[in-house]
Amino acid sequence: MTEIYAILVFLFVLFLLLGSSVWVGLALMGVAWVGMEMFTNRPAGDAMITTIWTGASSWTLTALPLFIWMGEILFRTRLSQDLFRGLAPWMRFLPGGLLHTNIAGCTIFAAVSGSSAATLNMVGKMSIPELRSRGYPEHMIIGTLAGAATLGLMIPPSLTLIVYGVTINESITKLFMAGVFPGLVLAGLFMSYIIFWHFFTKGERPEPEPSMPFGKMMAESLFLLPVMGLVFVVIGSMYLGYATATEAAAVGVVGALVLSAGQRSLTWETFSKSLMGATRTSAMIALILMGAAFLSLSMGFTGLPRAMAELIESYNLSPIGLIAVLTIFYLILGMFMDGLSSVVLTMAIVEPMIRQAGIDVIWFGIFLVVVIETAQVTPPIGFNLFVLQGMTNHEIGYIAKTAIPMVGLMLLMVVILVVFPELATWLPDNIRQRN
Amino acid sequence: MRDWQPFLGLYLWVWLFLFPGAFAFYCLFYRNSARRILLPIWRILDRVYQISGVIAAGFLVMILVLIVGQMTTRWSNVVFPGGTELAGYMMACTSFFALAYTLNHGAHIRVSVFLNMNAFLRFWLDAFAMLIAAIIATYFARYAVKTNFMSEILNDRTQGLDKVPEWLLTFVTMFGTWPWDWSELWAQSGSEMVFTPIWLPQIAMSIGTVLLAIAVWDNLFRLLINQKTSIKSETVE
Repeated sequence: MTEIYAILVFLFVLFLLLGSSVWVGLALMGVAWVGMEMFTNRPAGDAMITTIWTGASSWTLTALPLFIWMGEILFRTRLSQDLFRGLAPWMRFLPGGLLHTNIAGCTIFAAVSGSSAATLNMVGKMSIPELRSRGYPEHMIIGTLAGAATLGLMIPPSLTLIVYGVTINESITKLFMAGVFPGLVLAGLFMSYIIFWHFFTKGERPEPEPSMPFGKMMAESLFLLPVMGLVFVVIGSMYLGYATATEAAAVGVVGALVLSAGQRSLTWETFSKSLMGATRTSAMIALILMGAAFLSLSMGFTGLPRAMAELIESYNLSPIGLIAVLTIFYLILGMFMDGLSSVVLTMAIVEPMIRQAGIDVIWFGIFLVVVIETAQVTPPIGFNLFVLQGMTNHEIGYIAKTAIPMVGLMLLMVVILVVFPELATWLPDNIRQRN
Repeated sequence: MRDWQPFLGLYLWVWLFLFPGAFAFYCLFYRNSARRILLPIWRILDRVYQISGVIAAGFLVMILVLIVGQMTTRWSNVVFPGGTELAGYMMACTSFFALAYTLNHGAHIRVSVFLNMNAFLRFWLDAFAMLIAAIIATYFARYAVKTNFMSEILNDRTQGLDKVPEWLLTFVTMFGTWPWDWSELWAQSGSEMVFTPIWLPQIAMSIGTVLLAIAVWDNLFRLLINQKTSIKSETVE
């Protein structure tokens, strides 16, 4: 009975603090402190600092600010615009036309940045005006963009996967590799949706693009080269085992700096803005991680995670049943908080459960990312919706409505992952790596 | 509770929680006089937050340099012991120094559904949240400082192979002793490399968390005095 009592106390304090808009990291610390004081007789403050210090000064975490920084540099210099410019001519041949640039642009930009907000911003700022002027229907522009931007979370380097890996002590490189194929499949799903739309709603279809001479097309494609090269080096060095995730991130930062300097878009202003932006974002994540570290310690002392794992076991849920329950759980959670917080908040409880049920933790990481992606485009709290609202001045309800087909596709992706788990596990199992 | 034993005749928690809390009420009821008291302090604090952010960014650059250096030395088969620990310390320095700066730029995440409901909640709920956050942050800072001192007393050393020069330790220790003891301090200090004592990087944690606590209290006071939040978030353009 103590367990149920403990759960109720944890949940009550958590919702009270989060609901009254206390910053997530500090709220988690508050919940953890209440738990420590009520259910254990350990000195809460000392245990708290020991855990937080160990977590905050860990080597694994260093990949995080570096990947953020790399994304910031690309975002604030002209590199990402070039990427888009080179991509656009090739999308003309597909049914659905330039709408595919939304998907392809997000996919490639996702490979250089770790967050979906950055991806959405970057691609949206370039594609929305272009697509509007060409007469594509608004709901398709916004909807596909909202959906595709979530790829930023999945395609490596992914901040969510780094945080997940740090929380459960698993190899980040492995997680990154696991994200590649599911990310591509999801991008494929989005693209096929556009093709379906093209064939089934003839009325909305805009005029096809005038064709461009082949020579000019190739010339435009040259703009793709620098960023594609960078992506190739960063991801390749990691997967071929030349570098750890942190080192690959460092290579990415240096590469992005060199490229933008070569292009003369690296000024002191863009450099310092990117650096300070990266510092802020990584401190934001660090504070949440600190709170989460203390919360898992506190929960561990109460014995709650073990009790929950045993409870799940006593229900004799099949792994599929457990996954179904967790999907609904994370979707609901994701409606009210951002992806990172919901990962760190729940892993202390969920990790023992999935290990108990014999579910592969690497696979689970990818599953989790897909579900969290879905939650990013569902109201009332969906980060992508907020960013799009800021960019387009549409009502959040309208944006959410345009994204409904994408939510459906992402849920389909969850099913695909469950049916074909090899999609996530094959690559990390078959590539040599160093840690 | 020994952790809160009296300091200058009053329990520590009176200093850390009651006095700032009472001052918050003062700010609420005597806005003009509170503003006069705080204005010069704000000018200094704004500078301090900014500087701590720049220091954090400096450590981020150092992480980059260290990791790139580590890769190049590995390719040239030179072993560079303790690099991972050093990068870890710098990571901690980056995170902790940037906490207050990040708060003032509105980059820390919070659930703002209820906050955005109406003007009444925007003010009072924000004030309540800041009060709770300030208490938690102060608690965090108090134990961070305590742990820092305990590491020094217990002479807690690194578990890795990283070393720092002894003169650096002596230099930092200087600020914790009286000037008339400095000559003796330097006389005892050698010039060889020693295993990193944990208290050295933990100073970043102490400074960072104390700054965070100050920043949250400060934001609460500013909210109550100016009747609107002074946290400006840079929305993604």
